[in-house]
Amino acid sequence: MTELIQALIFGVLTGSVYALMATGLTLTFGVMKIVNLAQGAFLILAAYLCYTLWAHLGIDPLVGSLFVTVPLGALGVLVYRLIIERVQRVDHGLTIVVTFAIALVAEAIITLVWGPNPVAATPAYFNQAFHLGSVSVPAAQLYACLLAVAITVLLQAGLRRTWLGHAITAAAENPDGARLVGVEPKKIGTWIFAIATATTAFGGAALSFLYQFTPDSQDIWIGLTLSVVIVGGLGSVTGAFAAGVLLGLAESVTSTYVSVRWAEAVPTIMILLVLLIRPQGLFTLAARQDAAA
Amino acid sequence: MSPVRTAVTSHATAVRRAVIAVAAVALAVFPLVSNDLYYQAMLILTFLLAIGATGWNIMGGYAGYISLGNSVFIGLGAYTTGILAARQNISPFLGCLAGGLVCAIAAGLLSLVTRRTRGMYFTIVTFAALQLLAIVATIWSGLTGGSQGLALPLPAWSLSYQDWPFYYSLFGLLVLSVAVSAGVRRSKLGLGLFAIKDDEGKATGLGLAVSVYKLIAFMLGGTFLGVAGGIYAYYVTFLNVSAVFDIVTSMLIVLAALLGGRGTLWGPVLGAFIIEPLANLTSTSLGGADAGAIRLLLFGGLLGGVVLFLPRGVLPTWHAWRRKNHDHPERTVVPPAADVSPGAPAAEGAGGTSRGSRSQDGAVLTVRGLTKAFGGVRAVDGVDLEVAPASVTGLMGPNGSGKTTLFNLVDGTVRASGGRITLAGRRVERSGSTARSHGGLARTYQLPRLFPSLTVLENVVLAERRLSLSRLFLPRVTAAERPRALAVLTGLGLSGYADASPAMLSYGQRKLIELAQVLWLDPALVLLDEPAAGISPALSQRVAGIIRRLRADGTGVLLVEHDVAFLASLCDRVYVMADGRIIACGTVPEVSADPAVVDAYLGDQVALAAASRVESAP
Repeated sequence: MTELIQALIFGVLTGSVYALMATGLTLTFGVMKIVNLAQGAFLILAAYLCYTLWAHLGIDPLVGSLFVTVPLGALGVLVYRLIIERVQRVDHGLTIVVTFAIALVAEAIITLVWGPNPVAATPAYFNQAFHLGSVSVPAAQLYACLLAVAITVLLQAGLRRTWLGHAITAAAENPDGARLVGVEPKKIGTWIFAIATATTAFGGAALSFLYQFTPDSQDIWIGLTLSVVIVGGLGSVTGAFAAGVLLGLAESVTSTYVSVRWAEAVPTIMILLVLLIRPQGLFTLAARQDAAA
Repeated sequence: MSPVRTAVTSHATAVRRAVIAVAAVALAVFPLVSNDLYYQAMLILTFLLAIGATGWNIMGGYAGYISLGNSVFIGLGAYTTGILAARQNISPFLGCLAGGLVCAIAAGLLSLVTRRTRGMYFTIVTFAALQLLAIVATIWSGLTGGSQGLALPLPAWSLSYQDWPFYYSLFGLLVLSVAVSAGVRRSKLGLGLFAIKDDEGKATGLGLAVSVYKLIAFMLGGTFLGVAGGIYAYYVTFLNVSAVFDIVTSMLIVLAALLGGRGTLWGPVLGAFIIEPLANLTSTSLGGADAGAIRLLLFGGLLGGVVLFLPRGVLPTWHAWRRKNHDHPERTVVPPAADVSPGAPAAEGAGGTSRGSRSQDGAVLTVRGLTKAFGGVRAVDGVDLEVAPASVTGLMGPNGSGKTTLFNLVDGTVRASGGRITLAGRRVERSGSTARSHGGLARTYQLPRLFPSLTVLENVVLAERRLSLSRLFLPRVTAAERPRALAVLTGLGLSGYADASPAMLSYGQRKLIELAQVLWLDPALVLLDEPAAGISPALSQRVAGIIRRLRADGTGVLLVEHDVAFLASLCDRVYVMADGRIIACGTVPEVSADPAVVDAYLGDQVALAAASRVESAP
């Protein structure tokens, strides 16, 4: 019983972090129908930047992530304006290929800068835990979870309450209609990419002290974030959160009762299963798809 | 086609054939005249990449479905062959055929996963499948050797043969895969794949079983790569998971196909012959700890560069450049359209169970309590409607009243939330678009949707009434179909455009081609979405003539139109929709007088204008 509770707690904590890591992809995929396969590399880049701030300046990754949002947001804007937006105009189907190319280039640059060996930030709390009876709650996981909840709530409030949020939602639901009322897709796209990659900084910060990471681990993380988005259903920040938790639970239960190595396969199995059984995602209403035609 | 252009084209074809023939002969004799193992090894890997890119192109180029996980087939083929050789002592040259079979099955399963989605989900699935299989192969180490690797028996032939068996088997496989790819292009399968790339929804509506087309395309590419992967396994004699299921190999396959020219026959081969030597050069000239990262940077950058600056690839860009420099600006002369004669002989349909349903007396379409809710909005709300055979039924209503959604529900583009749809005596509310099309339904769209990659004639013969696998391997347009399709086009006054691209036609002419597709299907029920909107009065009369002919032939026509005079001149009965409900039904003068209809159209001017037009209509 304790084992199960432990697995569940661990699953929820991890899952919320997965959702945090996937917020960038949720936004670009959901709103712009752009699958940004470079999201995994951006995440790893953010983790390396947080790690570097911690290792050389002693800045805690949770604080450091605030600084990291700036270069990452700028990177998102550059990538969108210089590359993705151009490709999108010529052939939308090729955007996924070009983001894949960006992922490989980013992985290469990260390897050249930081080297191929695994690193991890180890702030004081990284191996501490709170104990509730026989159940333990790892401190680092808890802090990361709180960060994830805070960012999700902020994003959701931003989407609901601000003009930009409304414009983003409008552009997601009806791009042509949004253009008619003066919401310029290119401008919205720039904002979405800025926000999407800037929030990746927080996911990267959590990654930096929760896991060991290498430049080539980006393809594990892109697989995982894709899984969150597909299981959650496109573009829904809350759906992604639920999906992240579900994935975390599935992984945690798998590693407790099957094996740790099979847990690694859970995200990709979930992608294939959900697309086979319920392609619109587990946590969305069926959206109207014929209106654009 | 102007004489100048014909001369240039045939000259270019002759040059291309000569280049290909010389290259093929040179590759065939190369190992015999040179014993340089370096170049032999490079060519072996080039063949492997060219087979991969050619196979990828059938799905990625013709059908437009991009796979980022095709090295999964190299891995599966290699491991199948390797395991059979290491554990069962089966010769790798036989084992690789088993590898091809395993890959065909794997491609079939992946197609099943993507059956209900379109576009980028396919890419995601291939990407995820590659990751999953790499993980599974590592875990299942009892079979695959896991991270330790798997050793194959060493080749037993005399050293004086060098790598000839690998070289010639892969070379032969490449020739075969290019031949198959060329065959696909010329067949109905290829026609359907190009149609899927242009407009998959429309192709489904024309009765194409698109999932079968995609399944075959993906399986073909996977099988070739699987066999090649098996030979490759024997060649390298040692397999390890991360090298064989490498995403970078997938990337090189995509890069080669895109660079050479996606959707062309020779582009992927050309791309492979550029990329692999380059890859070879970098792996021999780069050393040190950073070599891997630099290669990744180079090829990732190259892929990005090709997508950004050469998205069509070398061959299509080259052809476009030649055409610009050699073609004279004089437009190709299109013969004047033949006069329309509404009594022109109706063409026989595309075969299959045509008209069987017409002999019965009941309605060809019966809709009961049909409802569609998008979230809280009921776009169609409890609609009852009937269309009799050999009748024209009108459907009118203000914009946003649910007419197009009703059409989408009836043709299966959108699933109903509730209610029944009976098409020619069969319940269809749960069937897909293709099944409904096979059941005798055809439709046109408010804005005509044609396939720009196909000629006008191909656009017409594409529509099919049933799925027959053997039919897929017939030529794009068979000798029997051509005169029949020309007859349909002649009936519409469009015979002069048979071999033109639909992109050259006017809006009104494109609407007529959509009607030709409908006529070709010889349907029991036709849904026409504003067929007369935005076209000239002359064309509009031609459309009216076609609709009358359909009725005379026994077809039930359901017609959405705003032009009340047009409706009045044609319809036996009209339904009026507002806010997703049917608010009136009867003849045009009857419903025009109905206060509920007048109210729905907001104001009495509309009603007055409509009434006066009805009076002046013929």
